[in-house]
Amino acid sequence: MTYLWIMGLLRHRLMRLVGSGFGIAVTVALLASLGAFLASSTATMTERATSAVPIDWQVEAVPGADTAVIDAAIRKAAPVREVEQVFYAGTDGFQASTGGTVQTTGPGKVVGFGPEYLASFPKEIRLLSGSLGGVLIAQQTASNLHIGPGDPVSITRIGLDPVLVTVAGVIDMPDADAFFQGVGLPSQAAPQAPPDNVILLPTAEWRRMFDAQTALRPDTTRLQFHVHLDHAGLSAQPTTAYAQVTGEARNLEVQVAGQALVSDTLAARLDAVRGDALYAAVLFLFLGLPGAALGAALTLAITASSAGHRRSEQALLRVRGASAGRITGLAAVEAVMVSAGGITVGLLAATGLARLGLPVWGDTRSLAVTASGAALVGLALGLIAILLPAWRQARTQTVTASRQSVGRKAAPLWQRLWLDVVLLALAAGFFWQSASTGYEIVLAPEGVAAASVDYKAFLAPALFWVGSGLLVVRIIVSAIGASGLVCRLLAPIAGRLASVVAASLATQARRITLGVAMTALAVSFGTSTAIFNATYQAQARVDAMLTNGSDVGVFGTAAAPASLQLAKLSSLRGVIAEPMQHRFAYVGSDLQDLYGINTDSIRNVAQLSDAFFSGSTAAQAIAKLAATPDGVLVSEETVSDFQLTLGDTLNLRLMGADHQYRAIPFTFSGVAREFPTAPKDSFLVANADYVAKMTGNASAEYVLLRTANDPVALATTVRAALPDMQVQDITHVTQIIGSSLTSVNLTSLTQIELAFAVLMAASAAGLMLALGFNDRRRSFAILTAIGAKRAQLGAFLWSEGALVFLGGSVLGLLSGILTAWMLVKLLTGVFDPPPEGLVLPFGYLALLVGLVAASVTAAVVLAEASLRKAAVDQLRDL
Amino acid sequence: MNEALVQIKDVGKTYAAADGQFASVLSGITCGIEPGARIALIGPSGSGKSTLLHIIGGFVPPTEGQVSWPALGVQEDFLPEKIQAVFQAPSLFPALNVRDNITLPLLLAGRSAAPGFTPDALLARFGLSDLALKLPEELSGGQAQRVAMLRALSVSPRLILADEPTGQLDSKTAQQFLTTVIGVADEIGAAMIIATHDPAVAARMDQQWSIDHGRLFVDTNKGTAL
Repeated sequence: MTYLWIMGLLRHRLMRLVGSGFGIAVTVALLASLGAFLASSTATMTERATSAVPIDWQVEAVPGADTAVIDAAIRKAAPVREVEQVFYAGTDGFQASTGGTVQTTGPGKVVGFGPEYLASFPKEIRLLSGSLGGVLIAQQTASNLHIGPGDPVSITRIGLDPVLVTVAGVIDMPDADAFFQGVGLPSQAAPQAPPDNVILLPTAEWRRMFDAQTALRPDTTRLQFHVHLDHAGLSAQPTTAYAQVTGEARNLEVQVAGQALVSDTLAARLDAVRGDALYAAVLFLFLGLPGAALGAALTLAITASSAGHRRSEQALLRVRGASAGRITGLAAVEAVMVSAGGITVGLLAATGLARLGLPVWGDTRSLAVTASGAALVGLALGLIAILLPAWRQARTQTVTASRQSVGRKAAPLWQRLWLDVVLLALAAGFFWQSASTGYEIVLAPEGVAAASVDYKAFLAPALFWVGSGLLVVRIIVSAIGASGLVCRLLAPIAGRLASVVAASLATQARRITLGVAMTALAVSFGTSTAIFNATYQAQARVDAMLTNGSDVGVFGTAAAPASLQLAKLSSLRGVIAEPMQHRFAYVGSDLQDLYGINTDSIRNVAQLSDAFFSGSTAAQAIAKLAATPDGVLVSEETVSDFQLTLGDTLNLRLMGADHQYRAIPFTFSGVAREFPTAPKDSFLVANADYVAKMTGNASAEYVLLRTANDPVALATTVRAALPDMQVQDITHVTQIIGSSLTSVNLTSLTQIELAFAVLMAASAAGLMLALGFNDRRRSFAILTAIGAKRAQLGAFLWSEGALVFLGGSVLGLLSGILTAWMLVKLLTGVFDPPPEGLVLPFGYLALLVGLVAASVTAAVVLAEASLRKAAVDQLRDL
Repeated sequence: MNEALVQIKDVGKTYAAADGQFASVLSGITCGIEPGARIALIGPSGSGKSTLLHIIGGFVPPTEGQVSWPALGVQEDFLPEKIQAVFQAPSLFPALNVRDNITLPLLLAGRSAAPGFTPDALLARFGLSDLALKLPEELSGGQAQRVAMLRALSVSPRLILADEPTGQLDSKTAQQFLTTVIGVADEIGAAMIIATHDPAVAARMDQQWSIDHGRLFVDTNKGTAL
């Protein structure tokens, strides 16, 4: 019997098996793909975070400690790749004579390291001019002393005679903050600014010069071990990796207690990434689960669309004496067949997608858990869609009721209880609550191992999604019930049959509403994901533009300003070049970056978002600056620290052309939160002309380039033309920004989502229609038998198709836009800076709606063709 | 003399069987149907009655022989106004109520009902007015068959083909129903062929054609052909 049943299903009911299996395959593929994405993205984040840390641990020996013991303890505490000793000495300053004048700096640091250091820690030192073999001097110090490679410089030792050295190279220290950080400070301590003046010596030379100072003033020198850990054994999960590294560092602290102090930069970095990893998980839940839920709902709906035949078959089996157990068993066989097929196809599709789209695979355990979970969901879905209705029918319904295909049933309980409106009201309530807490969904306090996600925030979109789905059902049911309205709407398609078609639709309201609701949910899912993605990508670009300034940034120095090359850069084809000064100014004793801009032309190359400014729009802030020649825009932190009010005079100390700092008066004219190329904490923005006039130096250290062509190609061209300049393109910057989720490549997630959304929207509309038509072939054969012509038959088909397309598309787009707005608000933490509005990806939305229309058209056309053939066969049964 | 509605000559019909062989359902059928004829088509199950009705109505083509409809014009125009059929299996459109089902052929024909032949008038005439708003699945088998007959009559066709129209009715109800049907058919001048097992129903017709193993035997003084 079971064998006969299986063969019968395969021979005569293949379409419904394929339909249900398709739904399960889509759900399984989506879940597995998203799980793989999550594993991959967290692994990517961990990899990027750990590879971006130049020095994992800095272990500082206390004076008199046994360095061999410390070295051994480090190697025992964790698997290490490199350990290098670095010596630090404080000095009273440096002095140099050039051009008949003597320049003297304030206190500085002299660092000593061995010959292997540069190879072991290549990110610490970047050569700007000269060579790395010998005495190196930091760029700012060289600038202050007006010296370069080959020039002598005197180091003023503390309590000892000065010593003279000759500069071999000028360098930049990109990681100076960490390199000179205070080791062993409490975590609440304010970060120390790196020294303004730095000279680096080979270890032997440092010891020759500073061993005496160490003996005389041991408090002025120190020894650090710079450690690179072996990252191969680190967990791919940032939270686990953080716990692992922290544990190893604490183990070392215990081992070297009283001998050394440990600064764990790697753990600090992983600590920061934990929040991003949680946001990735949140994104997975926000963006992925609705898709999976939609896939599941689609499976149930597709299965339900051929439920008429199933019920009739089961009723026939009962009439012929099959027990409830036998009927349930046969349904279980069908459910398992469909599930197995769907799971296999789904997992294969997910594997293919992952191979195509993911740059990094997550760990094997995560992938296995993901695949198993997706398969279990697929099996459960098959059982719920096919077995459960059969089981209920076999136990509760009469044979006559089982054979009914349309029927007039009372409105379902949720409709009578107005559950849709209740859910939408609850969604609004939870959304308001999240808004009142500033949309802080992820809390990962620095230094605290535990991180938390405000899962209540998920309720708002989840309730909205379900509520809007049910509201769609209510609207469609009401609209179909209002036969006058439907008649008018269908008149262009159905002509004089409009009233009878409307009556037919009204009787089948449940079936049709299901199709419309599923189409609307699928379109809504696609729309919200696409809008969120477009908004996210636009903001990622704004973030990158903020960091890089423009498409390509050419970054020079005070000694070699990029504006010297302005003519050459401006002559490049398709390029707009804009100079921008980058100076340093003392605000009191605080050294800040100052940017001198041309207010008329800065927006030609840099994107200024309203979110960059406080209390005014970008246009207003720039206009105010333009109207105030000596105006200066100040960061919020500075306004707060110095209790400034608009219009205050601010005396800033800037270096003049004579290399001497002098006070220059500025007028506080606005507040800037962020500015292209500026750091995130404190900076100043002023008029370039005023800065040039007051300092006697009109050069601009930076030149920003805007291009309509490929920024990477432009950057390559500029690098080749100007090998001494630092050149960065926006594409590269987008990839390396590590401060926020922009570092996570969401392309894989969104591409998967968008592809599935299109597939599900087209399936919801077309496949459900096609299966519904197939289920009602007999009805259409009857129409043919009593005289319906091809066009009249088409009126029934096209009317139903039009209702599904129009209802699903319009309501889906509306719901999708609202959902996207809610998601963007709730996930504000993902965006940096926050978006000013939603970005509508019209191309994708047109494709989505177009494919829904195409799938509806295909379903109707195929039904028309098959019904013409089927009518004759059906007549044999009439 | 009136032109015949249908002329059938040496018609045969075979179907492909599941085992790849061909099964002959009808063979060598020759007959004619005059306007206003009352024909009972009788025979055992599987004898080919339904197939012959379908061929007469032009629903399925014969595999051999010729069928022509001299008084009915081109075949494309038969439905829904010139020929209407009442099928053996439930054939009401499930998504429409009884009144809409009866209206359907009129709408398909693009015209209004003749006086006395509106859906409500027909329902009243057959004593079925209380079924007007019911859905087909809410009807009994006998009710559905009667509604299907009313649907056929609503367009006043020239030829009515009915396959076991009283099969699910008790004999008394069947006779009453048949009386009304014949009365309406007389009013509109329609010919009627009824396939039936019931001798009492067959006796109400002017001609009794029997069919057995695909062969047709006419037992009437009005039969036009053998």
